[in-house]
Amino acid sequence: MSIFDRFKGTTREQKAAAEESAHRQMDILMSLRGGRIPTGALERLQEAAAGTKPWMATLTPAELRIARSKRLKPIAAISATCWLHYGYSWTRGHAEGWGQALDRLAQEAKACGANAVLDVKMRTIRLPLGESMDFTLIGTAVKIDGLPPSSDPIIATVPALEFVKLLEADVVPVGIAIGAHYEWMRDWSGYAANPSLWFNTEARQLSDLWEQVRRTAHQDLRQNARNQGNGVLAHVNFSQMFEVEREVGERKIKEYLARHIVVATIVDARRGTPLPHEIKMVVDMRDPTPLTGTPPHHQAYATNEESGAI
Amino acid sequence: MTNDLPLHAQERLKGLRSSAHSTGVFTSDFSVNEFLLVRKAGFEPIGLCVGSCVYHVGVQYSSWSQNQEMDVLSKAMYHARELAMTRMRAEASAMGADGIVGVKLTIRRLEWDEHLLEFIAIGTGVVHGEGSTGFRAHDGGPFTSDLSGQDFWSLLHSGYRPVEMVMGSCVYHVAHRGALAGFGTVGRNVELENFTAALYEAREIAVERMQFEAAAAKAEGVVGVDIHEGSYGWQTHVIEFFAIGTAVLPLDQEIAPEKISDPIMVLSVND
Repeated sequence: MSIFDRFKGTTREQKAAAEESAHRQMDILMSLRGGRIPTGALERLQEAAAGTKPWMATLTPAELRIARSKRLKPIAAISATCWLHYGYSWTRGHAEGWGQALDRLAQEAKACGANAVLDVKMRTIRLPLGESMDFTLIGTAVKIDGLPPSSDPIIATVPALEFVKLLEADVVPVGIAIGAHYEWMRDWSGYAANPSLWFNTEARQLSDLWEQVRRTAHQDLRQNARNQGNGVLAHVNFSQMFEVEREVGERKIKEYLARHIVVATIVDARRGTPLPHEIKMVVDMRDPTPLTGTPPHHQAYATNEESGAI
Repeated sequence: MTNDLPLHAQERLKGLRSSAHSTGVFTSDFSVNEFLLVRKAGFEPIGLCVGSCVYHVGVQYSSWSQNQEMDVLSKAMYHARELAMTRMRAEASAMGADGIVGVKLTIRRLEWDEHLLEFIAIGTGVVHGEGSTGFRAHDGGPFTSDLSGQDFWSLLHSGYRPVEMVMGSCVYHVAHRGALAGFGTVGRNVELENFTAALYEAREIAVERMQFEAAAAKAEGVVGVDIHEGSYGWQTHVIEFFAIGTAVLPLDQEIAPEKISDPIMVLSVND
C-alpha cells in the first residue's frame, strides 16, 4: 500500500484533492527533512517579497502606523513548527524544540528578504500526545525602506510598538535564548525532605538542589545568548520539582528531580543610549481603565506565578 | 519622534553583527517597558539574582478555643523567607550590583510532602550607569525592592530611593466558637468580637514587625505596603498575615514638591 492509497475518495474531485494533499504532505516532509522550506510556503513568500502578492502582517492598524513611522514595511506573516518527542529529556527537549523552530523561522525570513521578524509569539497546542509537544513560532517578517535584505534577519519576540521603542533606545531585540537544566538527586540518607520531624528546619539538600539547577539554567541562558547579543529579557521562568520512589536493591530510595526552564528575548544593547522621549505620567479617567493589563504575549508555558503570591 | 534609527541598530538590521561584547551578557526578567524605564532612570541591569529555600515546617498544635499566634509557623515562614532573600542578595553582591529591582517572592507547596514549603526570591540586579554607589543600602550591600521597573522610575522621580524590601509575618490561630455559642445569636446580627479581635491582633503583629525592619534599615518610610492573608495547607482556623513593602530614603537632594510635575489627565476612548 503506498502512502497515496489512504487518501482515495469516491468522486474524481475528491480523488484529485486527496492526491494533491498527499503530494503536499510529502513535499513538506521531505523539505523539512532536507532543511528546506516547503515548496508551497516558499513560493508564497517569494511572491510576497516581490510584491506580486499582497503583504500580510499580524500587526494591528495602530501598530502598522508606528512601524511605518520608522520605515518598516511588512512582507509576510511567517511561522515555523517542530513537534518533538522527548526521548531522553523533557528539559533539554524544550531547548531543542524551540531551537529547531527558530532555525526554520529564520529560513523563512531570509527567503522573503526581511531585515527582521517582529511580533514573534511562542505557541503550543495543548494536546496531551504522550511525551511530546509542538513548538510553534508565529511572526511578521518586515523590511526597512532603504536597507538591503539581511543575510541574518533578527528575530524579535516583542510586538511592533515595543520593537520601535527599543530601536530608538539603541537596543536591538535579536533573538530567543533558552536556558534549561535538570538534575536528579538520590537521597541515600532518607532525610532530604524531612530533616526533622517536629521542628522547623531548612531542607538544605533540596534547597541546594534548587540553587544548583536554577543557576545552571541561567548560566546556560547566558551561554546561549552570548553569540547574538549582550543581554536577555527573560519573560518565562518555569520550574518544577518531583519526588520519585525507586527500588535500589533491597532498599526503597527517594529521588528528586528538579528542572528549570527560562526563555528570554536576546537584546543587543548599546549602553548609555536612553529612550529619547520624555516620560510623562498620565492618569486615566476611565473606570476601569484599559491602560492597565495587557494579555500575555506568549502562551507556551503556564508560568510559576500562578502558584500563589507571597 | 525622530524618524532615524540609531546607527548601531541600523547595522544590526542589515545583518551585521557587532564584534564580541566586552561587557558580557546581562540577564533580567524585565519586560520591555521596565527595561527602558530602568535605563531611563540611569541604571543598567546586570543579572538575574535567585535565592531559593526548601523548608521543613515543624508541627504545632493550637488550643482549640484560643486566639493565639502559632509561633512555630510564624518563625518558619519568617526564617525561610529570610534565607531565600539573603541568598538572592548574596548573589547580587557577588556580581557587584548596587541594587535589586522587581523582586518577586513566591511560596509554593510541594505537593508530595505536606510539611515542605518552597520559597523563591528572584529579581534583577542593577548597577548605576555612572558608577555611583550612593544608592546602596546602609550596610554597603545592594538595595532590595519589590518595585517594578515602572515603580522604580516613579519612586526616583518623587525624590526617594529604595533601601530594603521589608516584611513582617504572623501566623495566627483564630479560636473556634463553643458548640453552644450559636444558640444565643439565632435570628440576630451580632459581631463575632472574638474573630474581629483575632484579625486585629494578627495584623498588628505583622505590621509592627515590618515597621521594625524598616527602622533597622534606617529608612524614612515604607512604600507599596501590602498585607496578604494566606493559608498554606494548615488547619482551617490558621491564617498567615504577611506585610510587605519597600523601605525608602530621600535622595541626597530631595526634589522640591513644586518641581514634581502634575500627571496629565487622559480619558481613554478605546474599549
